[in-house]
Amino acid sequence: MEDRQPFPLAAQLRDEDITKPSSPSNSSRNGPRERANSRHEPVRLPEIHAPTPRRHLLEMSESGQWLRTPPLSPTSSRGVSPVSHFSFGAQQHPRSRASSTFSAGGHRSHSASLHALLALDNTRRVSVVGDPTSARKRVKEDSDGGMGRRCIRWMHKRGMKDWIAPGAIGAATLIKWCIGLGSYSGHATPPMFGDYEAQRHWMELTLHKPFSEWYTYDLQYWGLDYPPLTAYVSWICGIIGSWFEPSWFALDKSRGIETEGSKVFMRASVVVIDAMVYVPAIYLFVTTWQASRSKRTQNLGLLTLLFQPALLLIDFGHFQYNSVMLGLTLFAVCAFATGRDLLGAFCFVLSLGFKQMALYYAPAVGSYLLGKCLFLGPNHGSRLFIRLAVVTTLSFLLLFIPFIPPFAPLSAITHPLTRIFPFNRGLFEDKVANFWCASNVVFKWKQWASRDALVKLSASLTALGFLPSVGTLLQVGAKLRLKGEPAAGQADAHTPILPLLPYALFTSSMSFFLFSFQVHEKTILLPLMPLTLLLCGAPLNSAMFGWATLVNNVAVFSMWPLLKRDGLGLPYVATLVLWNRLIGYNPIRLPSKSFIQLISFAVYTAAVTLHIAEWLITPPQRYPDIFPVLNVLICTPVFALAWLWSIKSGVQVGWALSGLGASASASVGALRSPLENGGEPVKPRDRKVSAMSASAAATGREGGSLEGSAGNRAMSLGYAAGRRRAPLSRPRTTESGAP
Amino acid sequence: MQRQASMSSMSSNHEKASSSETANDVKRTSKLTEWLQGWGIGNSEWDILLASTCLKALLFPAYRSTDCEVHRNWLAITHSLPLSKWYYDTTSEWTLDYPPFFAYFEKLLSIPASFIDASIVDLDNLNYSAWSVVAYQRTTVILTELVLGAVLLRFIRGSVDPTAQRVISTSLFLHPGFLIVDHIHFQYNGFMFGIMLWSILMARNGNKLASGVLFAILLNFKHIYMYLAPAYFIYLLRSFCLSPSGQVQIKNFLSLANAVIGVFIASLGPFILLGQIPQLLSRLFPFTRGLNHAYWAPNAWALVTALDRVLLKYLKWTGNAVDIAAPGVASTSRGLVGDTVFAVLPNVKPIHTFAVTIAFQAIFLAKLWMNPSYKSFVTALTLCGYSSFLFGWHVHEKAVLLVLVPLSLLAAERQAYFRTFILASVAGIFSLFPLLFTPAESVVKVVYSALWLAFVYKSLSHQVYEFPKSLSYVIIDSFEKAYFAGFIPLLLFVSAFPLFVHRTTAAAASVPASVACPPSSDMGMGMACTEANTTILDNAAAGPAAALSQLEFLPLMLTSVYCAVGLVWAFCRLGFVYLKGEATYQGQMSRIG
Repeated sequence: MEDRQPFPLAAQLRDEDITKPSSPSNSSRNGPRERANSRHEPVRLPEIHAPTPRRHLLEMSESGQWLRTPPLSPTSSRGVSPVSHFSFGAQQHPRSRASSTFSAGGHRSHSASLHALLALDNTRRVSVVGDPTSARKRVKEDSDGGMGRRCIRWMHKRGMKDWIAPGAIGAATLIKWCIGLGSYSGHATPPMFGDYEAQRHWMELTLHKPFSEWYTYDLQYWGLDYPPLTAYVSWICGIIGSWFEPSWFALDKSRGIETEGSKVFMRASVVVIDAMVYVPAIYLFVTTWQASRSKRTQNLGLLTLLFQPALLLIDFGHFQYNSVMLGLTLFAVCAFATGRDLLGAFCFVLSLGFKQMALYYAPAVGSYLLGKCLFLGPNHGSRLFIRLAVVTTLSFLLLFIPFIPPFAPLSAITHPLTRIFPFNRGLFEDKVANFWCASNVVFKWKQWASRDALVKLSASLTALGFLPSVGTLLQVGAKLRLKGEPAAGQADAHTPILPLLPYALFTSSMSFFLFSFQVHEKTILLPLMPLTLLLCGAPLNSAMFGWATLVNNVAVFSMWPLLKRDGLGLPYVATLVLWNRLIGYNPIRLPSKSFIQLISFAVYTAAVTLHIAEWLITPPQRYPDIFPVLNVLICTPVFALAWLWSIKSGVQVGWALSGLGASASASVGALRSPLENGGEPVKPRDRKVSAMSASAAATGREGGSLEGSAGNRAMSLGYAAGRRRAPLSRPRTTESGAP
Repeated sequence: MQRQASMSSMSSNHEKASSSETANDVKRTSKLTEWLQGWGIGNSEWDILLASTCLKALLFPAYRSTDCEVHRNWLAITHSLPLSKWYYDTTSEWTLDYPPFFAYFEKLLSIPASFIDASIVDLDNLNYSAWSVVAYQRTTVILTELVLGAVLLRFIRGSVDPTAQRVISTSLFLHPGFLIVDHIHFQYNGFMFGIMLWSILMARNGNKLASGVLFAILLNFKHIYMYLAPAYFIYLLRSFCLSPSGQVQIKNFLSLANAVIGVFIASLGPFILLGQIPQLLSRLFPFTRGLNHAYWAPNAWALVTALDRVLLKYLKWTGNAVDIAAPGVASTSRGLVGDTVFAVLPNVKPIHTFAVTIAFQAIFLAKLWMNPSYKSFVTALTLCGYSSFLFGWHVHEKAVLLVLVPLSLLAAERQAYFRTFILASVAGIFSLFPLLFTPAESVVKVVYSALWLAFVYKSLSHQVYEFPKSLSYVIIDSFEKAYFAGFIPLLLFVSAFPLFVHRTTAAAASVPASVACPPSSDMGMGMACTEANTTILDNAAAGPAAALSQLEFLPLMLTSVYCAVGLVWAFCRLGFVYLKGEATYQGQMSRIG
């Protein structure tokens, strides 16, 4: 019992402090010092609890909270200056804010600086240790912060912070592999099997056939319909696989082979390629895009991306190689962030060359690069534009090199192209939660219009859908245009329009998903990627967090019919539970009665009800597809709302960056002044700060809460906030609002 | 108590203060958290439970051994047959050979099973492997393992150093041994070890009567825990039935004896009444098995057998005419034969193994008799199980858990214990790897064990670090490091070897044929050519292939011997620390009487 002695003391202490905040007016009148002398509280109290940090008490106690942080530093272990600490407390907790105002009032009336300092000090101590509500709330927030946060915090405390990233990657690999132990698409369903067999067949095909026959060989049985990079990767996999066991990829004879060995090889190929492309890409993302954020936030972002359930289920359960395409796009996005636009363009072409679905991102990527050209001004901008055009063309030529003249007749190029873009299929396939399928319930599109008309209609709707994001990028780029010569190295730096890029990627890919022709349910992975990037580092109770998690969960739910068919019901539940627990998602904690909270509740209720109904009731004869259709009807509105929300957020961030319609000269001045400071070579770090100050200047000039919140949202991405935290007290506190 | 009081007053104050709509949500959640805290389970503990359950759920479709069918058969036996026929049924080859409590446990499990899928409990439905039976059985393993989790939580609650105990408890709950043996291979060890740790917990908390009763219950679940019985006997006798000065405490003695006898009557009573005890015992203790299990458990006998093999090769090579036992040459070269007969060394009989085991146990139990403290008890318990594992007759490799689990409790005591724990854990867990031989599950076992080891090592090592006292410590340390490093090439060899064998045999089968018969030759010619080649193939090309197939069990043998070296060394270390080092250093556990 001796070792637990400090805790009851502290508990008693808090007990006594409880009496205080219920009457704040009283405490304000008396002031903290007098209060300390009142009969309720013995004088010795501060001397007792001050030297004993709560962290130790918590560690010594019997409570189960072994991953709690010290309440002083909910976000980071760095030292906190008294001023920022004070503002932190005031921002965080309404009650302590109240008491701090009171103490500030006292300070003015007494006009004695020492007294004020004491009062301040006392308030702080009270807000940290004494005030039971705030302390309790903070502890609650600490412990409610999600498994990922708790785990990261614990490992930091135990001196294992360098092990977090390897450990997370190792654990994610383990989970991926374990998902792969189960069933896959088309398991034991001859004659056509499923996606697994398609991928395996392409390995067999590319291994045994010359380039010229890749896109023409036996098209009826899973003919190759992905761009050449997929074919090259399949080829390499085929070579490696047949080194292990030639029968896995014997031409024609291996069709539908489902031996244990071949399955292990195929599963291993996905995990290994994922570890070579996607995992480095997300690591690069958290270290470049979130370079200004704390190590813990970066680690949390890594966890969020590694365990994203939709991608895990489709790539490692259902069987596909989406992570390669997503990873290459992510590499491009990271390259843009470090100002290597040409490399980024090359990576994006590779992504397109792996899977044509990356086209969904093309409007955003293209308009970002165009916006950057506009930003750089006519001279440098056009130079960059020409370079980009050359690099893009050359990369495409490189990708298609076996199918173009020196190596093949000119007509050969038509084979891959007609296979890659199949416009001869239907408007939508199966049941997919997009506009066409959902509206098909009441309006039979196929009876009303011809296929050509529908193609045109869908194309124009899609374009309309991504137009706002494209427009914002271009407009902001043009508005912030640099006047005169950019400083040395400016052309290589990222642009202030960078925070818009994830929104644009999401808006554009979501509009493709909702409105374009021939969409698969798996394609929802494309909008999910930028959305999950936005989720990394978003505060727990922000609308951003609410939307990103809602769409992620609903996306997994929208793929339920597919996963059920593949026999992946158990991984479906397990990965969802794991990920939501990991990021600490709890719809109750969203801003109360906000739109996002209400819609979250409604959607989850509907989804759970549907699952229960599907479990209990067999669908009636007349409507065998009733459950998939209901699923579509639940998911489509969510996706559509998320799309609208992203347009709104993108426009807001655009305003925050460039100002509302006013000329941008002031912000450009703010942008340029630090650059020309002293004429010394400007480091990228300083440029980031300057980009931040541009947005801050814009926000400050326009005033108003709208831009403020949007600016903070841009900063929650961690980019515009810059690497210097100290001068930006307001965004920093908002940022740290989610310990 | 004070903490609870403060919590409740805080919450009441909180409720008073909260009037707005926002606070209502907070109140709702806080009520929920309080309710959960009433269970004494914190958020981080829920995390561990949820994450591990998710992982285990993903392992449902993984490889499972015949033990799954064994347990399904027991469900069927206990459900469809009357009690009197349980130990007589031979419908399946997997007859019931666990003590009665386990049979009752299976009977309990068979009731929900019959509702879920009646064919699970159909006695004649042999090798039934539908998704329902797999999912049901795997779920029961996860659910019954909650006993282990609850006991480990209790271990944290009253411990002297909760921080270290948390790490130990977590490491035990997530032990790769349980993942490999229970959740992939399929057994109910988590449940059993939960009862064992519960019994140890009761000993820590001073409730020795409960400790004894729980151990008696455990024995009636699975009789392998007899390995630990001597330590329990001595400990309870010395510290419960005798006063420190040596006088007999009649009351304590009688209550313990009555309780234990009561447990045994509850378990065996029905069978005593039916007069089936001899049949039951013959099922429980089949003495017809050999010295080594099919795959040699990494114990002293594995080393002896390996020495015999090496000596045999050496003698054959030198051509010395020492009389070699003929059956010994044929036996064990493949490591898969039931009865082990040595070629060179004298044969080992069961009585020898018992003598060695009891001799070692006696040494440690004497020490326990002199120092019947809790820490001494846990160490002696470990060493007792360890002796049985190293020197016992026909030991299964899975029995290494009997060593690793109690040893884990000592991990944070001091550097010497910690090093022993890491050594034994690495060697012991590696020795469990051959249980899962399918490539897909091999990845799981290796990655999971590596993650577990990194977690345990990193979170405990700096806490127990001691500066080496003398040169001999440094030398031993470097040897141990070299031993650890040796596991990596061993793992690579063990994983690559089957592939290599496969490729060589495939090449041997295909190359000569394709060389001798040009592919352009017509069908008839090709056939004739192949036939002609078979004899050549047998003589020439099959040479390396045949040699390789003889070496098929080389990876198993190497694993077993290499792990045995580590485990024997860890045994020596632990024994030495227990017998010698105790007086010089007092770990945190010594504070418990």
